[in-house]
Amino acid sequence: MTRRRGALYTTGLATIMLLATACSMMKSESAGGGGTAGASMAAPSGGGDWITYHGTYQSWHYSPLTEINADNVKKLKVAWVHHPGRSTRGLQSTPLVADGVLYYTGSYSRVWALDAATGKPLWSYFPKLNDDLVAAQTHSPYTRGIALGMGKVYVGTVDGRLIAIDQKTGQPAWDTKLVNSEKLTVGFTGAPLFVKDKVIIGAQGGEWPGRGPIFGVDANSGKKLWEFFTVAGTDEAMKTWGGESWKTGGGGGWMAGGYDAETNTVWWGTGNPAPLYDWAGADWKTSGPRPGDNLFTTSVIALDPDTGKLKFYHQELPHDAWDFDSAVGEFVMLDRDGKKLVVHPNKGGHVFVYDRGNGKVVNVWQLAKNINFVKGVDPKTGELIGRRDLPLGKHSNLCPAIAGGMSWNSGSYNPKTGLYYKIGQEWCMDLEVIKTTPVLEPQAQLDIGANFTLRNPEGSKAYGHLDARDPVTGDKKWEVNFPEPPLASLLSTGGNLVFVPDPRGMLRAYDATNGKELWSHNNGIGHNGGIITYSAKGKQYIAVATGWGSLVGDEFGALFGEPYKSMPKDSGAIVVFTLE
Amino acid sequence: MTTVVSAQEPRQGESGTAAPGAADPAEGARIFASTCGFCHQDGGRVAGRGPKLAGTERSDEFMLNRIRTGKDGAMPAYGRAFSDAQVRSLLAYIRSLKDDAR
Repeated sequence: MTRRRGALYTTGLATIMLLATACSMMKSESAGGGGTAGASMAAPSGGGDWITYHGTYQSWHYSPLTEINADNVKKLKVAWVHHPGRSTRGLQSTPLVADGVLYYTGSYSRVWALDAATGKPLWSYFPKLNDDLVAAQTHSPYTRGIALGMGKVYVGTVDGRLIAIDQKTGQPAWDTKLVNSEKLTVGFTGAPLFVKDKVIIGAQGGEWPGRGPIFGVDANSGKKLWEFFTVAGTDEAMKTWGGESWKTGGGGGWMAGGYDAETNTVWWGTGNPAPLYDWAGADWKTSGPRPGDNLFTTSVIALDPDTGKLKFYHQELPHDAWDFDSAVGEFVMLDRDGKKLVVHPNKGGHVFVYDRGNGKVVNVWQLAKNINFVKGVDPKTGELIGRRDLPLGKHSNLCPAIAGGMSWNSGSYNPKTGLYYKIGQEWCMDLEVIKTTPVLEPQAQLDIGANFTLRNPEGSKAYGHLDARDPVTGDKKWEVNFPEPPLASLLSTGGNLVFVPDPRGMLRAYDATNGKELWSHNNGIGHNGGIITYSAKGKQYIAVATGWGSLVGDEFGALFGEPYKSMPKDSGAIVVFTLE
Repeated sequence: MTTVVSAQEPRQGESGTAAPGAADPAEGARIFASTCGFCHQDGGRVAGRGPKLAGTERSDEFMLNRIRTGKDGAMPAYGRAFSDAQVRSLLAYIRSLKDDAR
């Protein structure tokens, strides 16, 4: 494995070089790019490091490394383990690796730097948070990832700050308060995205009555450069909110998106509007708590990273009334038949394929099987066909359930097999839509607007499945079923492997070509975070986050019983494997 | 199962049916559907993310304290968000739930 300097530069000149390299590598996308000098986050396959949340800007969650492969994966053994402590709601994050150092965060935004070959701690940084605020939060205290760039590690906090830490020393470089979390209750749980000389991060939102901004921050100084409101962020968008509903519209962009260096475009997915359910039912265009399409909620948006200005968008679900948001952060960028495409999964269970140049819909295909909130989605236009709006009162068997046909964890695209690996979730729910009023004082509260109960789909049990499909057409090559939906991100590699960290605690490796299970290891607790691979001191490693207790995972005890009823929700570790 | 809130009922803060500061189960139902039902499923009638609340044998003191102070890593603290009357209304709503032993 070729050792190389990472893409972590300290000067403006080097940043320009990085961009130039990024652009040139984009043009040779099919080349693979493993171990190439000057490889960057824009390299399609990331080489031996893993330097941004989705692996590279292309969101492939793929590594070209081949030392661990389908022929020898049976010899995979634990190399080292690191326990961060205080893993409330489990470790939900994805580690990063650069130049032999593994960086990761966990609950309460605690950040660790470890020797990537041995796990030896190099430094740690535990920010002091507003404990009273954390105790009052629902979507807390987990942190799902960090960003690296310009010699710093960047992490968001649930009390609304973005912090930069010196990558070598672990000392804080700057600490910028971006969200008034004391008032709005929410802050940051998603990973930031480093682009050129800026750090981009999206606030929580969804069923929280705010306007869910996405921020651009100067990586050198920590100064806020721009703020884009995912709720009524433009004059056009303001017209899609009746009355003053835009003031409490929700939205947000709580997972890191992707970046297209060729067009200098950041792609980001946004959360659902608030209240989550709408008692107006089919009359939503003119009445109810938020009349109109509610732009830019449940949308994919393309932003200029330098200005925060909107370039274009597509609203995947106009007037989302089901919590099937677009906040899933993966934007899988591909070239196919001369077309530059981006593939984006929507929580409702459909996968949208867009033209990268203008955001026009190229195709839509269905991944989850149990879907009845719409009869379909027009594959040519993306328009919803046969909406099932939910007026005040009781409704039975809405599919998928609020937990979605897909969750926020990422799939993986493997350029060698040409397949996109993604988890589908099969479950439904009964609900009663109830009229509510947003609570804003003294501190904003969840605005759900319904009581609900998860249930099995009619005629079958709830379950999950790993699909291997063509990312553009959706054609299925193979499928593996799981008794409960896996909730962790996936990894595929140049060694013809797909790794699935499952909810019972088994880490499983499959043949990427045919789905045959080749290896498994019991990590002793469910997985609900990330998985990566990297090279350190000439050896390939696999690192996975363990720990259970996300808000989706919390449903498993009532729905599936053991082992989830008794699974700890305050534990988690980074477990690292290599060949014996 | 009874429907505890209808479209005709007054909105939060506009209640004319209960004296100021008194526990009002209808007000509790509205707050519950806004904030608590996210975890306590079917309006607290069955277990979900959070435990089933219908028929709970916990004391009033325990319930009021749990709503106000929460449970670390599992339930938010609502002592600052909701007034004493709102917290008592939530308890009144929970006590009004029929336990049909599901």
